[in-house]
Amino acid sequence: MAVVEFQGKSFEVDEDGFLQRFDDWTPEWVDYVKETEGIKEITDDHQKVIDFLQDYYKKNGIAPMVRILSKVTGFKLKQIYELFPSGPGKGACKMAGLPKPTGCV
Amino acid sequence: MAFISSGYNPEKPMEGRITDIGPQHFDKFLPPVIKNNFGKWLYHEILEPGLLVHVAESGDKVYTIRCGAARLMSVTLIREVCDIADKYCGGHLRFTTRNNIEFMVETEEDAKALKKHLNDQKFDGGSYKFPVGGTGAGVTNIVHTQGWVHCHTPATDASGTVKATMDEVFEEFTHMRLPAPVRISMACCLNMCGAVHCSDISILGIHRKPPMIDHEYLDNLCEIPLAVAACPTGAIRPSKVEIDGKSFKTVAVKEERCMFCGNCYTMCPSMPLSDKEGDGIALMVGGKISNRISKPAFSKVVVPFIPNEPPRWPTMTKTIRKILDAYAKGANKYERLGDWATRIGWERFFEVCELPFTEHLIDDFRDPAYYTWRQTSQFKW
Repeated sequence: MAVVEFQGKSFEVDEDGFLQRFDDWTPEWVDYVKETEGIKEITDDHQKVIDFLQDYYKKNGIAPMVRILSKVTGFKLKQIYELFPSGPGKGACKMAGLPKPTGCV
Repeated sequence: MAFISSGYNPEKPMEGRITDIGPQHFDKFLPPVIKNNFGKWLYHEILEPGLLVHVAESGDKVYTIRCGAARLMSVTLIREVCDIADKYCGGHLRFTTRNNIEFMVETEEDAKALKKHLNDQKFDGGSYKFPVGGTGAGVTNIVHTQGWVHCHTPATDASGTVKATMDEVFEEFTHMRLPAPVRISMACCLNMCGAVHCSDISILGIHRKPPMIDHEYLDNLCEIPLAVAACPTGAIRPSKVEIDGKSFKTVAVKEERCMFCGNCYTMCPSMPLSDKEGDGIALMVGGKISNRISKPAFSKVVVPFIPNEPPRWPTMTKTIRKILDAYAKGANKYERLGDWATRIGWERFFEVCELPFTEHLIDDFRDPAYYTWRQTSQFKW
């Protein structure tokens, strides 16, 4: 597995650029990923989505369904795509340090 | 090759981005004779295997030549298909829902010439490039999946098994001498992508061993509740293990409850289960999707396991041949394979196909299993 160095931190990632361990997540990770995810600046809205994903994952052991993400954060799916152009899975979950989505994706 | 930009600017990924335009309208690609007679067809005939004619109200005719295709094909081959379409069909062609290729021309002479041309094309190894057939009561193309070419959950290969089977039943592709069409489908795991659950004969990849569990990585790579919920028999539960004094959150599999479906591996990369000796093929028969005479039906498992024997899967192709021959011999005209088996009774089906009946074939999945048992004294010795 590849190791990424960024601002003095090192992150172990897979070939799709997802963190190998949720515990390795630090705020620097978000800065590192935003480039590849087409995000210029992390706004409060971005942070709100990331924070919710992390809370939900810590509490439930899974990523929330899209409808739950929308309902709790108040962002419609369209707004989530505006914030994270790659979408809630590949964009937001990756930045939040959650495991890679599985199944027939 | 060095990098060549398409004009996309990674600095401004959303600039000039075109989305949600959907596929092109099919209308743009219709041959003129189809466009002119759209919705005005009177009748059609199958002139000979692989050659159809449709006659319109206006008297216009369109001749269709259908030829087999491997589905998995290179751009080189697609270019060759285009060259043929340019030469004979004004640049038009279509693919069928079973991945055959159809060329359309307006006169019978052109059709005959094209059919001859297609049947003359061969690969260096000797295989037909564009064998004409697949119409009427024969065996047409096999709907199949990715297999070892591209997927990560297969229990067998798709392209390989399909080539071996089509070679075995090739005569039925170029003839129309069966009681009714026989649809063969193939899926490389029981996700059943495609049509195996509703085909006359189905080839299905199965596992026979429970998943291995990478305890050290599982919690990092998987969402544990999803792996637990993925199991149709409730064989998976969350647990903890100690490895070298460290505690890991993971799952435990009750092996006597596991039936090796592989759903948990789909959801969780730390639970791989493919196995060279364990994996193989189950054969199912008797499904159909049309409403003709009898209702649509699911296919039923009749051979629980055939080992993987790459590259030619001889046991599998021989068994398929045996079923096909018994059906061709025993069934009445218009009778699909499932209709025939139901009419003669499944005990007779196993007898004439010389297939052993084992306990694996008796349904034991939840309440509905009961309805597949025989609640009558009507049976044949």
